[in-house]
Amino acid sequence: MDMDAIFLSLKLALWTLVLILPFGVWVAHSLQKLDKSKSWIEASLALPLVLPPTVLGYYLLVGLSGKSFFGFPLVFSFTGILIASLIVNLPFAIQPIQRAFEAINPEIIEAAQVSGLSKWQIFRLIELPLAWRGITSAAVLTFAHTLGEFGVVLMVGGAIPGETKTVSIAIYDKVQSFDNSGAGTLSLLLLGISLIAITLSYGVFGQNPSRRKRWGT
Amino acid sequence: MLKIKVTQTLPNPLQINIECASGELHALVGPSGSGKTSVLRTIAGLSTPATGNIECGNQIWFEAKDLRGTTKSLSPAERSCGFLFQQYALFPHLTALQNVCIPLQNSGLELSKRNAIAQEWLNRMGIAELAQRIPYQLSGGQQQRVALARALVKKPNVLLLDEPFSAIDAPTRQSLYKILAELRNDLNIPILLVTHDLREADLLADRITVIDHGVGLQTATPQVLFQKPRNSRVAELVGINNMFEGVFTAGKLTWNNSAHIFDVLDKGKIPPSTPVAWVIPSDGLSLHANQAAGRIQAKVQQISALGQIAVIQLLTCDGEHLISWEASAAEVKRLELAVGKNTYIELDGSKIHIMPLRPINDPRRFIS
Repeated sequence: MDMDAIFLSLKLALWTLVLILPFGVWVAHSLQKLDKSKSWIEASLALPLVLPPTVLGYYLLVGLSGKSFFGFPLVFSFTGILIASLIVNLPFAIQPIQRAFEAINPEIIEAAQVSGLSKWQIFRLIELPLAWRGITSAAVLTFAHTLGEFGVVLMVGGAIPGETKTVSIAIYDKVQSFDNSGAGTLSLLLLGISLIAITLSYGVFGQNPSRRKRWGT
Repeated sequence: MLKIKVTQTLPNPLQINIECASGELHALVGPSGSGKTSVLRTIAGLSTPATGNIECGNQIWFEAKDLRGTTKSLSPAERSCGFLFQQYALFPHLTALQNVCIPLQNSGLELSKRNAIAQEWLNRMGIAELAQRIPYQLSGGQQQRVALARALVKKPNVLLLDEPFSAIDAPTRQSLYKILAELRNDLNIPILLVTHDLREADLLADRITVIDHGVGLQTATPQVLFQKPRNSRVAELVGINNMFEGVFTAGKLTWNNSAHIFDVLDKGKIPPSTPVAWVIPSDGLSLHANQAAGRIQAKVQQISALGQIAVIQLLTCDGEHLISWEASAAEVKRLELAVGKNTYIELDGSKIHIMPLRPINDPRRFIS
């Protein structure tokens, strides 16, 4: 089994998660307050859902091939595929959290305002716990999607073992070299991880604390 | 003392001038969409009117002298309002105790002390044993008690109640009336109650303001409001059935489309031959079996028995006017009233209340 590829994919998924979740929460929360520009921003953030991975990958390849802030080109590096992964995952991270914030009854926020809470306290004590389900969904979707991401990562990172060759690219390589057994094992592994992640999303993390069993009247 | 004088035209019209003294329970009554809740939201700082001022005690909560800008507007957190929302608006992820604790978050007290105060309020509301339940595990009445405890735990300067009794059953409502009466005595703060139930307003409030299309039409004690509505729209909104039109000249009221003339009190304010609307309360009407001078012949159109009370619809013999009369079942029996039977109505002129009559499209129709 290609352990390097597995560890690299897990590392990429975890870094993506760590960086994108706080950003996703901030953007999703800020979008609620926007009025006129909201649809434009929402459309831009949803673009990675509809753009072919090769198109997005091409733009990133062109965009990241010059000298970067770090002093070296980001293409064909882990940082490059991490940036690509962050961009590709924007809709997966933002949309579930945005829907969760939007589902909060505005009267509840008003009750918190009248109760004397500051904006930060309302966010921390009321909105964030109520949007918990959306945040866990976003986390699971982002994690699972990053593990399986192929096109954009291949375009930006190529297939450098230990640096940019993720599980999906390793599966493709093995199929190309007629190693069906290796490809099958890695595919099964990805299938298992994805299934567990989605199950966790619907099950353990997905339980809404306000919908526990009713104790009667 | 809470003083509100606000005006706005958008997004919905609002023209309100109310004063509510400490310890007073002031009801805002009006049809759905009349702007009652908007008044509460404006007081709480959840919406901002165009102009006006809101004062509570010596503190100015809102001030905007003209449309050029707001000179002062405190945030909802700074206003010290207890707000009971119509749908309670409890925090669904927190227990009853935590819900009541939330307003004490910035009190500077330790958590244990905050919990003790919140628990004390739950005890007072009679739901001490429900402290650890989340809102979804509580009935409507229990949720409302939690919401009321949350509204009061911070010792607000004003209590605002938005249709608090509309979604609960009758026995729970009675027990909450009792709690509200007790709180009123203990708290000694202005309490504003929004309701569309006139009976409830009559039962609970010291004074009532009738609101229609965002405009405060009349503020008065329930007794004055029901007997002397300021204009025909108020009379209509407070559910006065016997409202008619006539012409007033120097103490004489001529009933339109009728030969009847009543002697009524002349305060000298109404010019001769003025078209007016007039109302008469139930106790100004009496029914008799025999004809006599000044009595009006009428035929019983309908008798609706409602328990021990019956509502009788009478049509005057000229076929022009329908009069509604409430009587006990015993009175109906004594007069041997039956549909189609003739009877004689006597109107007590001293109980007749005259109001300005203006066409419905007259912008001044609400101002008397």
